[in-house]
Amino acid sequence: MIAVGITVALKEILASFGLSGGLLSVVTYAILASATFGLLSVLALFLVWWERKIAGHMQQRFGPMRNGWHGWYQTLVDGLKLLQKEDVRVATRDKVVFFWAPVMCFIAAFAAYIVIPFGDGLIVADLNIGILYIMAITTFTVISLLMAGWGSNNKYALLGGMRSAAQVVSYEVPMVASILVVVLYAGSLSTVDIVNSQAGNFLNWNIFRVPYGPLAFLTYLVAAIAEANRTPFDLAEAEQELVAGFNIEYSGMKFAMFFLAEFINLFTVSAIAVILFFGGWHGFEFIPSFVWFFLKTFAVVFLLIMIRWTYPRMRVDQLMEFAWKFLVPLTFLNIIIAAIFKHFGWYWEL
Amino acid sequence: MLEYIKGFFELVKGLGITGKHLTKHAVTLQYPEEKDVMPERSRGVVVLLSDKEDGSLNCTSCLLCMKACPTAAIIIDAPRGEDKKKVLKKFELDFSLCCYCGLCEEACNFSALKLTGKYEYSTGNKDDLIWDVHKLQDVGRDVDYVDKRKKKVKKVAPKPTVSEATDEIKPTQSADKIETKPVEIKTDKIKTDKIETPQDKDEKPKTEGEA
Repeated sequence: MIAVGITVALKEILASFGLSGGLLSVVTYAILASATFGLLSVLALFLVWWERKIAGHMQQRFGPMRNGWHGWYQTLVDGLKLLQKEDVRVATRDKVVFFWAPVMCFIAAFAAYIVIPFGDGLIVADLNIGILYIMAITTFTVISLLMAGWGSNNKYALLGGMRSAAQVVSYEVPMVASILVVVLYAGSLSTVDIVNSQAGNFLNWNIFRVPYGPLAFLTYLVAAIAEANRTPFDLAEAEQELVAGFNIEYSGMKFAMFFLAEFINLFTVSAIAVILFFGGWHGFEFIPSFVWFFLKTFAVVFLLIMIRWTYPRMRVDQLMEFAWKFLVPLTFLNIIIAAIFKHFGWYWEL
Repeated sequence: MLEYIKGFFELVKGLGITGKHLTKHAVTLQYPEEKDVMPERSRGVVVLLSDKEDGSLNCTSCLLCMKACPTAAIIIDAPRGEDKKKVLKKFELDFSLCCYCGLCEEACNFSALKLTGKYEYSTGNKDDLIWDVHKLQDVGRDVDYVDKRKKKVKKVAPKPTVSEATDEIKPTQSADKIETKPVEIKTDKIKTDKIETPQDKDEKPKTEGEA
């Protein structure tokens, strides 16, 4: 584990208070974890509100308007309501699985942020397998959905969980394949190295530099939407067919955990897109790096929200066909082309 | 493959359409803050109309509206007084029965009632839906209406001298006696009304003549 930037600085400050050894690491990472947790909680609340506002205005409604200016604390009130609600549990549930499913979903959503750089040096830990770690940890979300489906002992929930598992297994392949193109050019799996390889001119961003970069970005985006279980790939909770899918039996805080995790995943997916294709925190020097990162990420989030409220849901067979017959061959072809270009040095480094 | 490329451009077009709607202003009316303008002839709350000049009720207690009402929402009690004129003792309108058909307004020959565009009168207590004469009159104070009754009075009015005319106005003044509460008359309103009525009268023949 290579600590960078903020982590090192925090460790030095804490060391000046006389902490040392194992305790120093524990305290440092506890502080960083709670800071990330706080940031992400606020972010998730904001994203829920933002999505509702955009969805409303796209349908020429206002969206939430009652609580505060244009309903800005609507989701906070919703969260408080969910906290107070009775935790309804089915008698025939699988107790252990039912309880741990939302917890796991939440943890998986948060754990990805260990390696996401919010700015220059604003990263908890720069793992040398960063992007692989994100891929691995976000897959836990699927397991949690499957657990929720199984633990609920409900046919709709189980169907939703199974669909989600099938979907994510299918879309993991094109997603990894589109990420590999970027990794090929960056020469590293570390998120910080990937971002730094795109430093300087904005033409260095992978979307412009990598051959068929926009294509790689699009295939990544499609796979990411499928991974985040959002429309048009929200088969796991297809309301019209499965009532609410995997979270049908969940209420109160457990439901809130699923719900917030979904929006954190939305941000994660967008943040990875920015790290891989849009140069991460790099931009004009006079604006702080974290501002650039958030600006870019929110732009991608906006695109994802637009997509969600524009397209109808796909059918299960269409979904599978699209993944295996179209996306997988296309992304593999893209890797081969990218490898050829890289081998012959047909790319620029401005 | 070509299908997929075509499909991709179709998807972009779809995003364009939703994006275009995103920039348009919402059509939602923020109800308690903003209110829609009701059409002139909308059938909402029934009100009792007052005379434009002295503010007394136009009702002559003829009971036509009560008889016309299909749901028996109107209850009038008007016994004859000492001078054998009907005195309006009770005029109750039960809005839980009213079906807003407007037959009472059609039956009335004296512009005493009108269905207005007012609609905010919901209540938690069912008894509050029964409105008495004072409430019906108060709600109807600001309602503008065409006076059917006045025309007849004015046709007669120019003929007699001033002293005789005072006798003839008496029937409308008798309605004042029914009003137990003092009627608040806004002088501004009456003034404007007074100015308006002659203007209307003057203008009408002119337009007819031009036509």
